[in-house]
Amino acid sequence: MLDTALARGAAYADARFERSRSERIDVRNGDVAGLSDVRSAGVGVRALVRGAWGFAATDRFDDAALDAAAARAVEAARAAAGAGRDAGGTIPTDVYVDRYATPVERDPATVSLGDRVALLLEAERALHSAPAIAVGHAWIDLWRTDKEFYSSTGSCIEQTLFQSGAAISAMAVGDGDAQTRVWPGDQGLYLGGGWEAIELAALRENAARIGEEAHRLLAAPQCPSGTLDLILGGSQVSLQVHESCGHAAELDRIMGWEANFSGTSFLDPAARGTLRYGSPLVTIEIDNTMPRGFATLAYDDEGTKSVRADVIRDGILVGFESSRDTARRIGTVSTACMRAESWAHVPMIRMCNLSLLPGDVPFENLFDDVRDGVYMESNRSWSIDDRRLNFQFGTQIGWEIKNGKRGRMLKNPTYGGVTPQFWNSCDAIADRASWFEWGTPNCGKGEPMQVGRTTQAAAPARFRNVEIGVGYGR
Amino acid sequence: MDADERRALAARVLERSRADATEAIVSTTHRALTRFTHQTIHQSVDVEDVVIRVRAIAGGRTGVATTNACDDRGIDDALARALALAAVAPPGDEEPALAGPASVAAPAGAYVDATARAGARERAEIAARIFSHADTHGYWSSGYVATSSAGVTIATTAGAGLSFDGTECGANVKMTGDDSTGFAEFHGTDVRGLDGDALGARAAAKARASAAPVAVDPGEWTVILEPPAFGELAMFLADHFSAQAYDEGSSFLSGRLGERVVGANVTIRDDYADALHPDAPFDWEGTPKQRTTVIENGIARTVLTDRTWARRLDRPNTGHGLPAPNARGPYPVDLVIDPGTSSLDALIAGTARGLLVTRLWYVRVVDRRRTILTGMTRDGTFLIEDGAIRAGVRNLRFNQSLTEALSACAFSNERTRTGGYSYAAVAPAVKFDRFTFASSTAY
Repeated sequence: MLDTALARGAAYADARFERSRSERIDVRNGDVAGLSDVRSAGVGVRALVRGAWGFAATDRFDDAALDAAAARAVEAARAAAGAGRDAGGTIPTDVYVDRYATPVERDPATVSLGDRVALLLEAERALHSAPAIAVGHAWIDLWRTDKEFYSSTGSCIEQTLFQSGAAISAMAVGDGDAQTRVWPGDQGLYLGGGWEAIELAALRENAARIGEEAHRLLAAPQCPSGTLDLILGGSQVSLQVHESCGHAAELDRIMGWEANFSGTSFLDPAARGTLRYGSPLVTIEIDNTMPRGFATLAYDDEGTKSVRADVIRDGILVGFESSRDTARRIGTVSTACMRAESWAHVPMIRMCNLSLLPGDVPFENLFDDVRDGVYMESNRSWSIDDRRLNFQFGTQIGWEIKNGKRGRMLKNPTYGGVTPQFWNSCDAIADRASWFEWGTPNCGKGEPMQVGRTTQAAAPARFRNVEIGVGYGR
Repeated sequence: MDADERRALAARVLERSRADATEAIVSTTHRALTRFTHQTIHQSVDVEDVVIRVRAIAGGRTGVATTNACDDRGIDDALARALALAAVAPPGDEEPALAGPASVAAPAGAYVDATARAGARERAEIAARIFSHADTHGYWSSGYVATSSAGVTIATTAGAGLSFDGTECGANVKMTGDDSTGFAEFHGTDVRGLDGDALGARAAAKARASAAPVAVDPGEWTVILEPPAFGELAMFLADHFSAQAYDEGSSFLSGRLGERVVGANVTIRDDYADALHPDAPFDWEGTPKQRTTVIENGIARTVLTDRTWARRLDRPNTGHGLPAPNARGPYPVDLVIDPGTSSLDALIAGTARGLLVTRLWYVRVVDRRRTILTGMTRDGTFLIEDGAIRAGVRNLRFNQSLTEALSACAFSNERTRTGGYSYAAVAPAVKFDRFTFASSTAY
């Protein structure tokens, strides 16, 4: 395949063979609403012609199909090279021969299908702990991906990835209102690893409480509006990092490669080292080697070795999520963030493991000197502008804070702000005891949209003088 | 792989199955994309795939397995995995059933050979015409030109045997200037209608007209949304039209069939045969789709069903099933909002003071039952005064109940296929008497 690409005029080519297995179980209102087992195999090939990339993919492995795919990749690259300006792609120089596999404590294959279903049926049943629960939903996702990467410069990399996750959700309905609670976080617990992730989710142990909370939200008072102090739970801080830092620091977005859809960024490479992004407490790093990271692997999908690198250090912008081509343009090296959803997708810069480092305040002490504020947990609504500045988020549940004490439950909490001002208002981050590797299974980017799996580890944090209640008007 | 080959493959799946009942769905895709930025093509993509989805029923229990290995070994593996899943599935309250024989006809214009055969060079030539408009005006352009063909065959041991082949083509263009942006799009089935010059000119004109944007105060405005903006907003009603959401109480239609739910001039349908968006005439369960009016003259008439929800609610099956296993319930994929009587220009001319919005971004649900949505304007927002566009406007964030907005609105008489990769809808422009913005941006 690579020989074909070179023979047809490519200066460089790489091929990524993938076999994936996705297992999903859904239990909904006592029914097993879904039992699926999806397997897919294919190969994607990239070819570089006169600085332009072409990509083609096929699900066939016979010689003719592989040669045809390579030829299509070269044709696509040649067409790209012939239109417009120089794309500036270059031949990579780093070559690796290596193997990697996600550490797994308990292979999901050792847990029978019957036991998986029984776990979800039991957890889902427990969600119906209050009369207003109209929908209980419990699910498990298990993924295994085997990748082989070969380049015309000699790289040969084999990787086996395990990713797992599970969740429960209860929707209460009454008096023209619908309120939903999800556990853990806002869409479940998703980690790199095996069945241990499902056990860590503790679905059975939390189901009755989640059902009761959804029920109680129907009668809870509306979250107030005003400029108040805000404490966010860990999974909501994770979402805040994801939307207002992770996407903003993607170098392809900064360079306009996503401008027509996902948007651009308010960041400029020239601001590196000088822009105050947040308060000095805020340090955000890429670590694609992180244990339990949902996006952890050894090499990205253009064969670059995973690294640990700062994006924001002590509140100052210092780096970006990048690929080889984008990093070279600003005189740095790739942070190995090129990922493709599958063999059938072209690699692009994706947020991988990008985390807010923990602070030094015990979680319960975050509340101590808040005179008037709101504590919010578990995302429900998220929106941010196409330069990643103006955001508005809502959570599933909140609690009033008065004079340092968490008080009554509030429904429909929302807050909004502008990215740098918001992060500069951060005056406390909880310590490592409440820091967790929150995984997101459905990060969207690109056209056609590619779904990425990413981790933003985070701990609860406190922000001063935030606009609260914005989703319902002030 | 053509329809005959898909049918043969599906038949082979059914022959090899040992389940009590089996459904085989064979899907083929060939999708190609030319994506560009700064007058440079940075993604040039060509992907082919064949997927076999097997639904096996044994002892009243169902399992689903999917593979893209089309040889006997791959088929047998998928069948075995589906049966293994069925073996552990608790029996449901209802006996699972598969679609039987049916006759359907593909809507005219769904498949265009020129689109299926379009190559990377043709897409690049269309992109180059867009680039020329960017260069002329000193802008940089970003966007894509895409062509694809797809086929699906559904066969069941109950006698269903349906096939459909369709093509899609599309382009969207964003022009970026010093302090403004502009947008244009086209989506259809025939690549010969994809005019790079027209798209480049329209996007550039938008960027030019929105240069030196002025700031306006957030608050309640009269707003005109062009089809790309309104179509995206309207898609957030799609989940509410599901019988599952209706029955479970999360739809704004719950308990309100037969009632006036929006303005009397609002009619929303799901129509696979609309000339601007001809789509498959059957759903993912092999049921012929019904052209269904959900809201007629403001009155909630019905909800959309699949096999499960038709049975549970004792309603007709409207043919809106998604691929099994489906925890989401029925869903409309061919949404059409009926037009009004005035042109877009007339809607603008009849506006004393308001905003014209080209496109929205990152629309999300704030409050599901009240259909409160939030999102941003982008790529061409304008101030209207005394019936004319006066200036570009810095972008704004809205928080608005869509059903409340639809209670006082007027539609243009143009119909546009909008959406691209994220969704597909046929929509006019809409003028909302009251639309609430919560905050603004500095650009």
